[in-house]
Amino acid sequence: MKFLYINLDMAFLFITGVLQMEFFNLSWSYFRVIEYLHIFGSILLIVLFIFPFLYSHIIGTMVKHKAKSKSGMLFGIVFMLLIVSGVYLFLVGNRGGDSLGNLSHIVHLYGSFVLLFLLGLHLKKFFTPSTAVKIASLLIVFLPLTSYSDAVKLTNVEYEEGVSRYHNIEWTNSTTCKACHPKIFKQWANSNHRHLADSNPYYMVLENLAGMDRGEKFRTWCMGCHNPSAVSMKQEKTTHFMRDNIMPDPLFVEDSQNLVDEYKAHPNRLEQGVSCIACHRITDASPKGNSSYTLKLQERKKYLYEDAHSDTKVWINQKLINANPKTHKEEYMKPLYKKSEYCASCHNEFLPHTGKMVVSTYNQWRDSKYNNPKNPKEHKDCIDCHMNYLEDGKYVGQSGLSTLGGKVKKSIKTHYFTGANHFLVGLKSKEHESQSLQLLKSSAKLDSAIKENKLLVGVTNVGAGHKLPTGASDFREMWLDITVRDRDGKVIFSSGKLDESGNIEKNSIVYNKVFGDKEGNPVGLLFWRYEKLLKDTRIDAGKRVQELFPLPSNAKYPLKAEIKLNFRIYPQWVTDVVKVSYPQLPNPPVVTIAKEERVFD
Amino acid sequence: MLRLILLGITIIVIWISSVPYLIPKKVKHSFSDAELREVALSKGMKSIPKKYDAFLKLLDSPQNPITKEKVALGKELFFDSNLSKDNRVSCASCHMLSKNPHNKNQFLDDITNPQSKTDCMVCHIKDQSGSDRLATAIGVDGRSDPYHRNTLTILNSALAKYQMWDASVKKSLKSVAIMIHDADKMGLIAKEAERKIAVKPYYKEQFQKIFPDGVTFKNITLAIDAYQKTLLTRSDFDRFLDGNNSAISDTAKRGLRNFIELGCKGCHSGRTVGGETVQHFPTRNYNYIIDVTSVFSTEYVGRDVAAFNFNFKEYHRFPFENVGGFLGKKEEQRFRVPMLRNVTKTSPYFHNGAVFDLREAVYIMGKYQLSMELTEIQIDEITAFLKSLEGEVVEYEELK
Repeated sequence: MKFLYINLDMAFLFITGVLQMEFFNLSWSYFRVIEYLHIFGSILLIVLFIFPFLYSHIIGTMVKHKAKSKSGMLFGIVFMLLIVSGVYLFLVGNRGGDSLGNLSHIVHLYGSFVLLFLLGLHLKKFFTPSTAVKIASLLIVFLPLTSYSDAVKLTNVEYEEGVSRYHNIEWTNSTTCKACHPKIFKQWANSNHRHLADSNPYYMVLENLAGMDRGEKFRTWCMGCHNPSAVSMKQEKTTHFMRDNIMPDPLFVEDSQNLVDEYKAHPNRLEQGVSCIACHRITDASPKGNSSYTLKLQERKKYLYEDAHSDTKVWINQKLINANPKTHKEEYMKPLYKKSEYCASCHNEFLPHTGKMVVSTYNQWRDSKYNNPKNPKEHKDCIDCHMNYLEDGKYVGQSGLSTLGGKVKKSIKTHYFTGANHFLVGLKSKEHESQSLQLLKSSAKLDSAIKENKLLVGVTNVGAGHKLPTGASDFREMWLDITVRDRDGKVIFSSGKLDESGNIEKNSIVYNKVFGDKEGNPVGLLFWRYEKLLKDTRIDAGKRVQELFPLPSNAKYPLKAEIKLNFRIYPQWVTDVVKVSYPQLPNPPVVTIAKEERVFD
Repeated sequence: MLRLILLGITIIVIWISSVPYLIPKKVKHSFSDAELREVALSKGMKSIPKKYDAFLKLLDSPQNPITKEKVALGKELFFDSNLSKDNRVSCASCHMLSKNPHNKNQFLDDITNPQSKTDCMVCHIKDQSGSDRLATAIGVDGRSDPYHRNTLTILNSALAKYQMWDASVKKSLKSVAIMIHDADKMGLIAKEAERKIAVKPYYKEQFQKIFPDGVTFKNITLAIDAYQKTLLTRSDFDRFLDGNNSAISDTAKRGLRNFIELGCKGCHSGRTVGGETVQHFPTRNYNYIIDVTSVFSTEYVGRDVAAFNFNFKEYHRFPFENVGGFLGKKEEQRFRVPMLRNVTKTSPYFHNGAVFDLREAVYIMGKYQLSMELTEIQIDEITAFLKSLEGEVVEYEELK
């Protein structure tokens, strides 16, 4: 009878282990439970039954009766190997960082067949009656599982894809990703993608304005890209958190500490904005724009306890993922994510009521020379610049680990999401600010000449794969700041200075687009009123524009010209409006993208 | 022995997997819109009057007859920060409303004229919620409530049978004086209030026109009360009760059904959907049940200990942090049932404003008052119904 028990135990270990093989292609709801049962069932069975049995068995046969059994010896050795590799897989995992993980995996997988064979050899004389044993063990392994999967299905009914909405519990909080991907989390936590919604003062004011001007429902238009989780929850507006009577100040919080704290206190509260899984659970995206992506949160292969919040369960879950990370990677990383079309789903925006494009960054890239799939050397996708790492103004890539214990990568796809907005990220992290400034400074070049008493200034878009500036570019300012001094040092020409209120003085050369409403008046903040394009001086990718500045005819040569190409992320008048609601907001600084000082004889 | 175990396991497994098929499925009775309305009306839910006559019938009293002039005077006083010790707090500072609640461009006006208001108010004034959207009110000299009580909305409050969180006041008129006198709110004694109001010629003239005895503190409260009685909101739900089937969505209708069937309406009753009774909260104290320390020593009975994690976590008397330590009427954890009209606009929730999310609040109410773990779908539906209770202040032609 004792032998029967032990055989049952072994059958359990073997079957639960083998079922995890790719060959069986088990449905996920079974797989996740079997993985758990295999690990914890093995620990229990081995410690409580198999070890005591082996001990008494070995003492009884090899020590007392001096019996020698080759198959028994071999079995013992292979069994130890399996235990060691299993423990390694469980505690350290197979994350790709060390070859030992892969070795353990191979030993554990193929070793188990060897073990079974040796067991059969060892039990040759008892083998015949064990058919009944096998059937019984199959029953034990399979039947409880059917009932379990039924229970899972019951709760899954409301979350079948094709449903009209999601719930907060499906929106796995980004904090949960932090444990294994600390570096990426930190990069994202200070990036603009993290601070697109409730923690972005400019956005909050604009969304409120949109709701006021076009009705509360119109907020959804903004939220589609800025706040996907709230949209999927059918929330009608973006809300900010409060800590008692105080609005926590997300402007200056580093590494999203407020999100981490909030998660600790209220794990089920919805995380607003673009979270990890908002991007990493997109299954399809089209370049149409206005949040044209498909999310799939519910039918997701989760490891056991992936939604748990208690420390023990989270620990177990992490071990389960590490032991067999393939599914995890497949679930959250798709080839689509490296394509520019994927980014286009939000970086193309049009007005829903008129169909007019307001932001067409993707289209600009599509028509540029950087979109050249036939020539892979010249082809550059969005992520080649915006998820790269800059050092001294050059794309060098960041080497290191994206996952703790994982493979050392030559060039991580960094999650700084480096863009023009150096200001809001700079309030949180100097590293992000420096990346952003380097990107800006690599984007344009200046050249100048004097002909027939006219100053010629050329600006070339050398770095950006889209227009310069792009995005909501009536809110981006790029302009020429020019000072010309004569022989005596007297200023004879000046343009593009800031006036007392901080706005750029009139008649300066500003590269932007200006929207007009039906009557042809500038729309100001209410850019959804756009009907007519009043001005578009943005510089296409790779193109050069030239400006002419007439100088006074009596200028005394030699002339000393100081030409700066300046950039400011938000015009002063926009910041002024936002500051009414957010008095703690500082003014965005002016960045000099390119500078030229020349003496003309 | 082994056979017995195997047999046992097999039987249990078969039993568990077949239970869902064995239990007969209850056929849910589905209500038509008319039936649902009938049920709602029979349970005492009523709409806010659209007509002025009906409004007068409901709220007018011979002691303080509502007249157009009195309401206009009350409105002036409501927005006047002279009614406070430091001349900074008016009734409208906490019961946030704008003078013209129908100005759709209020927000744009405010942000482009920064001198008028700054900070939270700029965005939140357009909620027209009649509350301050803070966890607890901030009164004169920046003082906050010692019990950390959340500001109740003034909208529809005149219809409620009880006022204040501890139901200490019944008539809306009485609450006016209490708020003006409260040292942490407006902090003004009666005489001082009279003096401050009487110096203004406009007030003096109006008071003498309306009241025979001119500016007195009692008349100030009477005028403010007349105004606050006019702050009634009509919502989509009212339109549904009045016979418009398409006024609320299907989800909201299912929410209404849940609201009635699950028992929410037992306390959140009447025209105001709450405010009519005083109830214990929480009625189910799960924390107490698993507090095992009392078994070993009587010293620990009723102390603040573990919640859900046996004795590892701090225990609160409420399913949220007990900020302020307010325990309601007679310190028995009995509270006036809050009104649910405009509840979507008046976060944070509960007496100390500890819960910010309406869905979370609905979940807590289900679990701790009704012993039900509401499903996400049920919470969706109930929230949709609560959303349909959101309304705008009714403008009676006769008061314009």
